[in-house]
Amino acid sequence: MAGRWRDLGLAALGLLLLLLVPVFGAPPAIRDFIMFGMAYGLLAMSLNLLIGYTGLVSFGHAMFFAAGAYAFGLAMQSGKFSIPGAFVLAIGFTALMALIVGAICVRLNEIYFAFLTLAFQMLFYNIILGWVSFTGGDQGLMGGIPRPKFLGIDLADRTQLYIFCSVAFVVCIAILRQVVTSPFGYTLRMIRDNQERAAFLGINVIMVKLACFVISACIAGVGGILLTLFVSGAYPNFGFWTTSGEAIFMILLGGSNVFLGPLVGTVILRLLNDITVTYTSHTELVLGIVILVLVLGLRKGPLDLLAERWENRRQAKAQAVRDAADKDAQAGRDA
Amino acid sequence: MTSTESRRASRRQVLKGAGALAAAGVIGAPAISKAQTGAIKIGVPTILSGRVAILGQTSVGGLKVVFDKFNAAGGINGRKIEMVVRDSKGAPQEAAKVTRDLINNDKCEIILDAEASSAAFAVQEVIREIGVLCIHSNSETSSLTADPKLHVPTAFRTARQGIHDAIGGGDYAAKIAKAKGLKKWATCSPDYAYGRSNTAEFMEYAKHFDGNIQVVEESWPKLFQPDYTEVVTKLLNAKADAMYSALWGGDLVAFIDQANLYGLFDKQASFMVNLGDYGVVDQVKQFPQGVYSGGRYNRTVPATKENEEWYQNYVKTQKHKPTNWSWENAVAAEFVVEALKKTDGDTNGKKMAEAIKGMTLRSQFGTKGTVTMRAEDNTLIDYIIGYGVSLSKEPYVADFQASAWEPIIELEKQWKKKQGYIS
Repeated sequence: MAGRWRDLGLAALGLLLLLLVPVFGAPPAIRDFIMFGMAYGLLAMSLNLLIGYTGLVSFGHAMFFAAGAYAFGLAMQSGKFSIPGAFVLAIGFTALMALIVGAICVRLNEIYFAFLTLAFQMLFYNIILGWVSFTGGDQGLMGGIPRPKFLGIDLADRTQLYIFCSVAFVVCIAILRQVVTSPFGYTLRMIRDNQERAAFLGINVIMVKLACFVISACIAGVGGILLTLFVSGAYPNFGFWTTSGEAIFMILLGGSNVFLGPLVGTVILRLLNDITVTYTSHTELVLGIVILVLVLGLRKGPLDLLAERWENRRQAKAQAVRDAADKDAQAGRDA
Repeated sequence: MTSTESRRASRRQVLKGAGALAAAGVIGAPAISKAQTGAIKIGVPTILSGRVAILGQTSVGGLKVVFDKFNAAGGINGRKIEMVVRDSKGAPQEAAKVTRDLINNDKCEIILDAEASSAAFAVQEVIREIGVLCIHSNSETSSLTADPKLHVPTAFRTARQGIHDAIGGGDYAAKIAKAKGLKKWATCSPDYAYGRSNTAEFMEYAKHFDGNIQVVEESWPKLFQPDYTEVVTKLLNAKADAMYSALWGGDLVAFIDQANLYGLFDKQASFMVNLGDYGVVDQVKQFPQGVYSGGRYNRTVPATKENEEWYQNYVKTQKHKPTNWSWENAVAAEFVVEALKKTDGDTNGKKMAEAIKGMTLRSQFGTKGTVTMRAEDNTLIDYIIGYGVSLSKEPYVADFQASAWEPIIELEKQWKKKQGYIS
């Protein structure tokens, strides 16, 4: 319980720090960077719930990112919904889609699961491309996303949009944290480590995986909504396999064993992209080299490495204390 | 002990300071350093990497030719133009972010959007919010400026429009079809919005001008498809009298190379809107003769001294040949320069837009030696549209026939009514 309050306190602190950015008059470019990072950060963090905590490597996670984006965008363009209404509708649609896709996919493991999620993603992507009259095809949702005021909040104002995105982001991260530190989260780890043992202990592995799949999809959907609000549109490549690949890169870059690892990976990838794009058009080459160096050099994400070193140091200290105690005891016996 | 603590605190402060400086350096510092040069900064989001990098390369070439001349003449009020070019990789969300960064971070006062279509729509939304002057120089999708719901007062287009090409091309195709009895038609265009809408519009107007035309086969190869054997076989089996294709760039090159192996172009009349561009001409192993080619950019169209000089100057300064995107961007740059002269260097979006709206420019790319930015929908008219017949060597296109603009504008009005864009 103490851990839960600590996590909620840290979430509140994180939100406060994010809200201080506009207070201190940060340039719009920094706010844009953070908003963009929050959208992709939710995609990567939610994917890590599947990859890092459950051992389900999904190649199709971006379909839920796109589902949230399109459902929200279309609802807003219809003019029949307020922003909170469209938000709830988009998450509901994403959850329903994840329930259907997940019910089929989570029965499989490893490469079969990965490729089936990829297949569903490409199916969804092609529906977006093909259903031109509804989705705008490969031109995406054109004409902007209307942002009518609600509860006195005006998301057409960039600062208010930033605050809205920050709150949504921190709430999602807090939910993910609660999930991974709950008994449900430990069940996910047990399934990751040995799903037969989990089944023998009476856990309904399929249902737990399905619940994880749906929660993860909903968080990715919120990421899609934030990006839709940021760019004022939704585009098919939100749901293309390369976007799923980017999320996997983010997890690789940041680390999958530490809770905030994928978020660190998102920041690294976005920073690398923004820096390289300023100075060269060979962005992919630079990204490729950095990823190679990290993968071959560190063999894990920077946060994983730090956590591992911290743990080694802690254990070494504990061992030193034990050794000193043993030595004292031995000296006492000798005396 | 006290001194150790103070040293620790100081080290932390230094680390924090260094972190803050690094963050500012990465995200904010370019704006500070570059904003003090006094130049008029023009942001250019475009595609500089991947299979269509030629789009960005030749677009920037077209802009540079005009801006270099402007700068060499001293600029305006001592201010020269500085281009800030960024690669969006063609992804709409990246294009939106890059455009915002160009304005907010790099302090660009004008945006010349050299993006392909879907990213151009994303840029349009950024402009709607920020309100700087923007000229879309590559997106041919008609709705960008034709649909009043998408209208942004400070956004214009100098790229050719799909509907204009379709009407001009349909008229030309119908005349050839009547003369040669080409009744059965096949189509072969890329399977995405541009390919489908361009082909539908071309065939609609071909049928409008010649009621005997009927489409007997449709082929939709995927974008960036490497192998066209199946498509070519399908076209041969259709035994059509003529074929229309909106394939472009590397896809068109691959298709022609593979179709040549089957002698496709000897067995039917072929109409290809994107054939006669140097980006294609220089890449095809055996450039087909006798294919009806849409006018993109060619040094002989129009066959004037100005055009030849422009071509020579472009090749000399940019070290590559210009493409259709080059002239579209050159015209965009000329509009910016003329508007700056009218506003006396004031880059305010509204003032620049007022200056450009309805502006007519002397230009070798215009049918009457001028091009006009039509005030009613902020789009370019009177540019050269037409078809010629391909030659296997220089100048690659002969017998070019420019389309008349009066019927294009009349039929465009009817098309807009049909789409519900005007009443």
